[in-house]
Amino acid sequence: MANKLFVRRRDGRVEVRLNELGRGVIREMCAHVLAAERDVDHEWHLSLRPPINPSSDDDDPLSALARENEMASNAEIVVLSLGEEYLSDAEAWAWLCTLQVALRATAITHGILTDEKLEAASPDLLDTILTLQHFLFDLSACF
Amino acid sequence: MSYRVPLRSATTENDLEERTEVDVTVVTERPWNVVVWNDPVTPMTVVVAVFRRIFGYSENKCTHLMLTVHHEGRAIVWSGQRERAESYCVKLQVAGLQSSVELDD
Repeated sequence: MANKLFVRRRDGRVEVRLNELGRGVIREMCAHVLAAERDVDHEWHLSLRPPINPSSDDDDPLSALARENEMASNAEIVVLSLGEEYLSDAEAWAWLCTLQVALRATAITHGILTDEKLEAASPDLLDTILTLQHFLFDLSACF
Repeated sequence: MSYRVPLRSATTENDLEERTEVDVTVVTERPWNVVVWNDPVTPMTVVVAVFRRIFGYSENKCTHLMLTVHHEGRAIVWSGQRERAESYCVKLQVAGLQSSVELDD
């Protein structure tokens, strides 16, 4: 437990044991998610807008809008709680969602859609993916 | 001061006559499936946590669904009315999982 980056306390809060470097990585990921939501030219933009119903030409615009609002809202919650030592359950869930969205967007943007592509990824990219996976592994254990 | 408002209107003989004259047609619609797709980067523990949070399934069921996604490339995690299926799909996408809806075969 001593090495865990996130720990669920008895009072329900989630303790964050990240140093400034780790929080900086998360800050950068949130900045990307928020930018990609607003900027159609951002490399993550399309990966944040997967089809809901692929058999239909267009998805229900209200569903798509709800998704975009919730993704952005989660990222904003993470930014606002980034300096906290303890997170509420809702904040910790927003962290998990945003980090997972960032992980998937990173992979999709670099064409990592199979295990073989992942194994062939550059060391820098692999390092980013492994870092996010480490955060997510410890955070998901709190739920 | 409080008023007692009847929540159910009284049934009259006319109502009963009307009801007996109506032909009942049952339309069975095919359900919509919420599908979660495999990807090479998402940790298995995240998938289980997301299923638990969104659907409230047991740990065993979530683990079984996660393993189905992992081994078969996809799993149907919920079936039912289209609007609810799309709503669940959006929740899964917000949590970063690759999901979509499809009409049941």
